[in-house]
Amino acid sequence: MQNLLCTNPSFSPVLIHNFSLLSFIYSVALPRMSSKAHSSNNIAHARRTVQQLRIEASIERIKVSKASADLMNYCSEHARNDPLLMGIPASDNPFKDKKPCTIL
Amino acid sequence: MACQGLQKGETLASLKRECDNLKKKLEEERGKLNDVELHQVAEKTEVLGALSVKTRRVLKGHGNKVLCMDWCKDRRRLVSSSQDGKVIVWDAFTLNKEHGITLPCTWVMACAYAPSGCAVACGGLDNKCSVVPLSLDKTENLAAKKKSVAMHTNYVSGCTFTNSDMQLLTCSGDGTCALWDVESGQLLQSFHGHTADVLSLDLAPSETGNTFVSGGCDKKANVWDMRSGQNIQSFESHESDINCVKYYPSGDAFASASDDATCRFYDLRADREVAVYQKDSIIFGASTVDFSLSGRLLFAGYNDYTINAWDVLKGTRVSVLFGHENRISRVRVSPDGTALCSASWDNTLRIWA
Repeated sequence: MQNLLCTNPSFSPVLIHNFSLLSFIYSVALPRMSSKAHSSNNIAHARRTVQQLRIEASIERIKVSKASADLMNYCSEHARNDPLLMGIPASDNPFKDKKPCTIL
Repeated sequence: MACQGLQKGETLASLKRECDNLKKKLEEERGKLNDVELHQVAEKTEVLGALSVKTRRVLKGHGNKVLCMDWCKDRRRLVSSSQDGKVIVWDAFTLNKEHGITLPCTWVMACAYAPSGCAVACGGLDNKCSVVPLSLDKTENLAAKKKSVAMHTNYVSGCTFTNSDMQLLTCSGDGTCALWDVESGQLLQSFHGHTADVLSLDLAPSETGNTFVSGGCDKKANVWDMRSGQNIQSFESHESDINCVKYYPSGDAFASASDDATCRFYDLRADREVAVYQKDSIIFGASTVDFSLSGRLLFAGYNDYTINAWDVLKGTRVSVLFGHENRISRVRVSPDGTALCSASWDNTLRIWA
């Protein structure tokens, strides 16, 4: 704790009480950080993760039964237009071999 | 200050605890809505017969592994890129090579056809993605007109034009995705969130708005809002690198292919994985996936040289396509759904129909 106070030139004596408490928690709760940049990166990263998770947790979801029904509906509506699924006659598929044609 | 940025009472430990709580809550919320499995709902659907799909064309001309390909909107042209730095534009009907571009870098891992059909984008180990306008003049040296658009700090693994020739979306080994203005080369938006190489991306079908999905070596598939750069949803159920992601045609779901030998299907509105396509006999990684036009079939290319066609709804395998003599790097269904093109490390591409 002494190290943290000494390396901080802008430290204000008025806030000693709060900082002591925080520094104490900080030094007890975590392994001692070797650099200030490393610890503030971790905090920023953790904050970003919490923020991200909050966003993800709050989105609206529907039941899998409803989602599945919709997926199935889409498939059946479009099935007849799906050449790979239905198979289309050679005359309609430019890749399938047709009867040879004479070149005029 | 070492304690800079901490709010009153907030510590790294408390943030970590909130993280864990939120993750648990996310799992619970997702679990509450998991009232039935997709394949159970699909039990009343007809079983699909075996596909009568065969190799109709073999495109030979690359001197090394073909790493990527993309169809043109005209449903007959396609562009492919390979490990030796060559990008070729083919007419798939006639097997004619219409354009050849030699890039100064090897491993051109990404290539895409512009919506207008007038240009192609390509990139790879040069950490860039460049746009090359296609000229009708066959004698012109296309490589000279190449314009660098995207600049990443690691290899470019995937690229796609957005709805016009004007914007390019790229993903990279540097862990980010980015949206670029083609004309000026300006970075319009960057997408941060992956914690390892991003290997693939896919744009949502135009009707469903401005989002795209990306997948990478951190085993995560992330859905992004293109305008804000915000990561909207994240899915982490694969056990290894995700090699490819592709939207379902309706835009409400997407599939992924992974080194864990499975392909998975995620519904965006239910916010969870709804199907896993796997078999005990499939032990090699899946590198690429694409849906047929209706979304009923999922074609997946594997490192065991085969392409498996899966019934998306029932979760069963419908067919296996044999023919390639090395790993499949990319499969793509043509824009009108009549054919499937596969690119392989055996230096060839095949058209199946």
